Amino acid sequence: MTSREREALIEAVTTAHRTIDPFTRMVSGHPAFHDLDDEGRRIAYERTLVTRTLERALDPRGLSTTGRAVVGRLRRSAP
Amino acid sequence: MSAVDLDDHLPAIAAGDPDAFERWVAGAEHPLRASLRSFATRVDVEAVVQEGLLRAWNVAPRIVRDGAPNALLRVTLRIVRNLAIDEARRARSVAIGDDDLDASLSFATFAAMPDPLLREAIHRCSERLPPRPRSALDARIASQGAEHDRTLASRLGMELNTFLQNFTRARKLLADCLRGRGIDLGELA
Repeated sequence: MTSREREALIEAVTTAHRTIDPFTRMVSGHPAFHDLDDEGRRIAYERTLVTRTLERALDPRGLSTTGRAVVGRLRRSAP
Repeated sequence: MSAVDLDDHLPAIAAGDPDAFERWVAGAEHPLRASLRSFATRVDVEAVVQEGLLRAWNVAPRIVRDGAPNALLRVTLRIVRNLAIDEARRARSVAIGDDDLDASLSFATFAAMPDPLLREAIHRCSERLPPRPRSALDARIASQGAEHDRTLASRLGMELNTFLQNFTRARKLLADCLRGRGIDLGELA
């Protein structure tokens, strides 16, 4: 894996986009996470912490994209 | 950052009010994520946090307050920790002890809310971003976690790798700008 490929994987993991496993009905891990080494995973975690702080500050209601994703999922599934 | 009792929202959450849950999530997400640092190499923390937040919504009606603040957050800290342990064991069969449970629960003693001055500084710095990094940052925020980066990149007319590079650049430029204002994002996170 080249350093550019590794960098792309790290950044891909920082998104809040996650799918629901059709069998367990639980939130699935990002596929790129499983392709990263331990140090890459640690970097992705730290970058995500910073990114969510920025997102909360830029959102009128103080929600990060994680919060938006979760609340959006609940609202869509509401009867 | 200031200490708050997020249980102020609990009665409305228990009654099924998603707006109240949204306000609770705004304060609870950061302590939940920070509590999982020791799992960062073993599980996808983002997925665990999202699953934990969804379960918090479901358990909220059954929470009995005990007089201490942040009962729902404390319960959710246990939920995400147990989810992380289960996932780590499933992935690698790594034995995990209970020694960090107290450390994890210590995150319930505070709930982080964005400082108004920090928000203002981040807004100012984001306005100074070059167009392409700014568009990548805005696209992820606007998508609210509902769309794959490939979709966002395509909408912006970028290759996926270019989109990711622009997002990296946006965060770095924001961090540099904030550092110039005496704010270290690493310390805040």
